[in-house]
Amino acid sequence: MRLTRFLLRRTAQGILVVWGVITLVFLLRFITPGSTIDFVAPLDASPELRQRLAEDLGLNKPIYVQYADYIVNLLQLDMGNSLLKGRPASDVIFARLPATLELAIAATIVAILFSIPLGVISATRRHQPVDYGATGFSLIGISTPNFWLGIMLILIVGVNLGWLPTSRRIIGFGPALELLVFEGRTIGIQVWFEHILLPSITLGTYFTALITRLTRNGMLEELGQSYVEVTRAKGLPETLVKYKHVLRNTMIPIITVLGLQMGTLIGGAVITESVFNWPGLGTLIIDAINSRDWPLIQGSLIVIGVGFVVINIVVDALYMYFNPQVTFE
Amino acid sequence: MNWQRVWRSLRAEFGRSPMAKLGVVLILAVFLMAIFAPFLATTNPKAQDLSRANEPPVGFTDTTEDTRLVDGERQTVTVTTRGTLEYPLGTNQLGQDMYSRLLYGARTSLLVGLLGTAIAALAGVSVGIVAGYYGGRVDDGLMRFADVMLAFPALVLAIALIGLLGPQPVDIPDPFVAAGLVSDMPETTVLPVTVTLVVALVNWVWFARVARGEALSVREKNYVKASRSLGASDWRLMLKHVLPNSLTPILVLATVQVAVIILLESALSFLGFSGTTLSWGFDISQGRDLLATSWWISTMPGLAIVVTVIGINLVGDWLRDALDPDIEGESGGGMG
Amino acid sequence: MSDDVILRVSDLSTRFFTTDGQINAVESLSLEIEEGEVFGIVGESGSGKSVTARSLIRLIESPGRITSGTIEYRDADLADDLREDHPGAVDGEFVDLLAIPEKIHRGLRGTSFSMIFQDPESSFNPSLTVGEQIAEAVEVQRRASSNPRSTRARTRSSEYSLRSYAAAAVLPSRGYVSSESKDRAIELLQQVGIPDPEQRVDEYPHEYSGGMLQRAMVAQALAGEPDVLVADEPTTALDVTIQAQVLDILRDLQEETGMTILLITHNLGVIARMCDRVGVMYAGEIVERGSLGDIFDRPTHPYTQGLLGSIPDLDAAGGRLQPIGGNVPSLLDAEMGDRCYFADRCPKAMEECLEKPAEYPAEGTDDHAAQCYLADHPYEASQALPEDYFEESEPP
Ligand SMILES: Nc1ncnc2c1ncn2[C@@H]1O[C@H](COP(=O)(O)OP(=O)(O)OP(=O)(O)O)[C@@H](O)[C@H]1O
Ligand code: SF4
Ligand SMILES: [Mg+2]
Repeated sequence: MRLTRFLLRRTAQGILVVWGVITLVFLLRFITPGSTIDFVAPLDASPELRQRLAEDLGLNKPIYVQYADYIVNLLQLDMGNSLLKGRPASDVIFARLPATLELAIAATIVAILFSIPLGVISATRRHQPVDYGATGFSLIGISTPNFWLGIMLILIVGVNLGWLPTSRRIIGFGPALELLVFEGRTIGIQVWFEHILLPSITLGTYFTALITRLTRNGMLEELGQSYVEVTRAKGLPETLVKYKHVLRNTMIPIITVLGLQMGTLIGGAVITESVFNWPGLGTLIIDAINSRDWPLIQGSLIVIGVGFVVINIVVDALYMYFNPQVTFE
Repeated sequence: MNWQRVWRSLRAEFGRSPMAKLGVVLILAVFLMAIFAPFLATTNPKAQDLSRANEPPVGFTDTTEDTRLVDGERQTVTVTTRGTLEYPLGTNQLGQDMYSRLLYGARTSLLVGLLGTAIAALAGVSVGIVAGYYGGRVDDGLMRFADVMLAFPALVLAIALIGLLGPQPVDIPDPFVAAGLVSDMPETTVLPVTVTLVVALVNWVWFARVARGEALSVREKNYVKASRSLGASDWRLMLKHVLPNSLTPILVLATVQVAVIILLESALSFLGFSGTTLSWGFDISQGRDLLATSWWISTMPGLAIVVTVIGINLVGDWLRDALDPDIEGESGGGMG
Repeated sequence: MSDDVILRVSDLSTRFFTTDGQINAVESLSLEIEEGEVFGIVGESGSGKSVTARSLIRLIESPGRITSGTIEYRDADLADDLREDHPGAVDGEFVDLLAIPEKIHRGLRGTSFSMIFQDPESSFNPSLTVGEQIAEAVEVQRRASSNPRSTRARTRSSEYSLRSYAAAAVLPSRGYVSSESKDRAIELLQQVGIPDPEQRVDEYPHEYSGGMLQRAMVAQALAGEPDVLVADEPTTALDVTIQAQVLDILRDLQEETGMTILLITHNLGVIARMCDRVGVMYAGEIVERGSLGDIFDRPTHPYTQGLLGSIPDLDAAGGRLQPIGGNVPSLLDAEMGDRCYFADRCPKAMEECLEKPAEYPAEGTDDHAAQCYLADHPYEASQALPEDYFEESEPP
């Protein structure tokens, strides 16, 4: 009940933020030098043609009318036509979305899978070689630009060792799964996996390092709390002390920081996509900006903003779950 | 704020921690590299020598196959290039000296990192203090706006703004060259203005949050209430009480932010949005298509970034451990 | 009450190795506690009471370490179980708790002995319900007693399967605790006088008042039906009426189950109300021991005398100890020297006190003894140290 009320409240706030994002995105076009029509119209377009194009796109109307139109259209999921591809921008964006989601989710899985055990081991074997190893790794991990890491992975694993393909993604998870389920062929999943491995490591390393660091420091801090001693005095098995009590409480600061770092995850995805030619939103947005494809730029920014808001609600709900003391006013 | 105590705990922690020492050494090294780049550089970093393109670093050899006409016949010959001391870190596809480019890249990184952080801190702290001090509607409005800013992943926002506004590079004359102390070196260092402003724009929010928290708590203190009732002006109060109290957390945050901004700048340069070609990120992007043949072009500048950011993070850890400010979140780097 | 010794501590030393230096928190402490009695330890803040308590349960963590001594616990079954594998730890019916592996020791915690901690507010995990935490203690006992004969089975059965770790971290109430234990937790809460236990059992520590948390702490310590209960200031955090209630609860339970209680307190009123025998602690040592009557009617050590002299009304809430001028020493090894540790505050300090006194039997019951020359021979004013002796040699 506490959770439902919280979710409702948070969704309302989220809608407000999304509205802010939409407004900013809308305004972006007006602070940009050069008029949109210059980018749409052919170079040798006659003034009449330019005029007609501008009217078609509604560029001549007053700004508040354009704004209202924009919102109304958005509510119908109409983001306009991509100038570049001539298709509805929403189609283009949603066609690219799965690739980005796959990448972000895979990276998150990589990060959680490695970081929490590493942080726990590091905290419980303090001042032992594993601890130094883990601390060193996390320092390097948070200090390495992920595009460079990606390039180094391509260089070493792809080019020098030849273990993994360096070509761009061939198959999405959905089709790969269909292939497996309907035709019983594993090749799709295998190829999918081979292609997503390096990008997800590239995107996940920073988070692995960050969470390792947070887990280690959080565990150490938490282990010094007096309730831990009480729990031990009860005769509770040490594994339960560490995982059920200590790690669980360590999750609270971890989740807080992760919530603040979600923007980093999305930004990291953009640049990782660019390194691996990953056909997702990141590469799309760079292309769109380079060609001033306004509907596409605006649409992608809004989708990213919405994604960020959704992720943050999930993070807050998790935080709430782990920390019963929070009531959110 | 008791500066003596701050200084003492800084020194104590420094003595205790070998990592803090390492951090300071690394940062000093990078600073010296950046400042004295014209003296340390062996070749003009922009000078091209196509006959010497793609040479490996000293101590490495590079073997390529080439098709040549020998006695009127096409033959595949193996060409072996040995790295020389003339180009200690090798050359790129234009035959530019990677070592000298590395030195000058440090200038760009530090310039954008420090300037960007300073602007972000200035803007963020001002907004934060105003929000926290006045509270109520002003606070709500400003903090909602901050939320919206956070909703934009920094890198994406930066790409969008720079892509649309253009990089607007500004040439800053190199004092050493101007004074005639060195010749044959670039006469100016490029400050990519849009990049600097944009990284500040996307990072001020962190400062605002810290300053706001501090202002909120100071506002409730009795002495502030008292001087307020005596008619002290709001701005004077804020400067006098809030600012000194928030300095420690802001200092720690600023250190970390320099690292964040350096990483952000390198990412933007990598994507070709920066407006200068003397930048580590740009060099990494140059080597990207030559990985199979010339690994060093991407590798060397990347190592430089890693070493610099490690240094800053170590110093950040040192400050954090010594001053123990209670700040939200641990943002060590990241691309966004 | 039986005269059998259940816990025999000899020469126990616990030190902390901090950056400021070595702290001798417990110094060569010996103690015998009999089955079914309430033994009190009284002393000023910082005299090492809590460290003694934690040492008894082997809960000393880095930078601390138990550096010498034995803690022998009488349990004939346990001794039989261990005789073969750990002959060095077994002496007749006694088992040296410091000489057995951690795993076996853990099997004894909660069930053979448990502890009430000083500060209830920080002694509960803030993110699990109080009921869950008490039920854990019950569960430990339940699993252990499913095979009471074998220590090894005891410890093994309380191990938790590997694949449940993650689940335990994420899902608090999955796995370890059974619904029987949960029901028992409600009973225990009822027993210590928590109103609405069915509802309270699912509340979090921050929803409890300090007094209720202290009671929940008692419930948790009793959950495993321990033979020996170490109660470290079980009432200090409470106001007077609740203090009395909690003490009554402890007393009743003790009479009901016959368990042994080691009661640690600042408060002589609590000692007088609860204890059969008493040890007076100063600077990491037991400086005087004896029956309640020995200590209250025939105090021999000047420190004990000082404590008693400062108490106008034993039952008064403010029966806190601030008896004698000066402070408890820092316990830093470097500053301790080998004189009587109390000499700098002692109104009767003599020249011989510059050398450490042994423990001498004192007038009263056989148990009565004090670590002071005055237990051996009467005060000689001629030997008295000048009053400012320590002020000169030991700048503050
Ligand atoms: N974890 C620790 N690290 C370092 N020193 C410690 C630690 N725990 C206790 N000590 C030291 O041991 C000494 C005795 O402390 P202890 O907590 O046993 O006192 P106490 O008699 O229980 O006092 P109180 O009545 O205040 O609870 C103190 O000087 C304290 O500084
Ligand atoms: S030994 Fe001496 S100094 Fe110590 S308590 Fe006895 S009389 Fe006082
Ligand atoms: Mg204590």
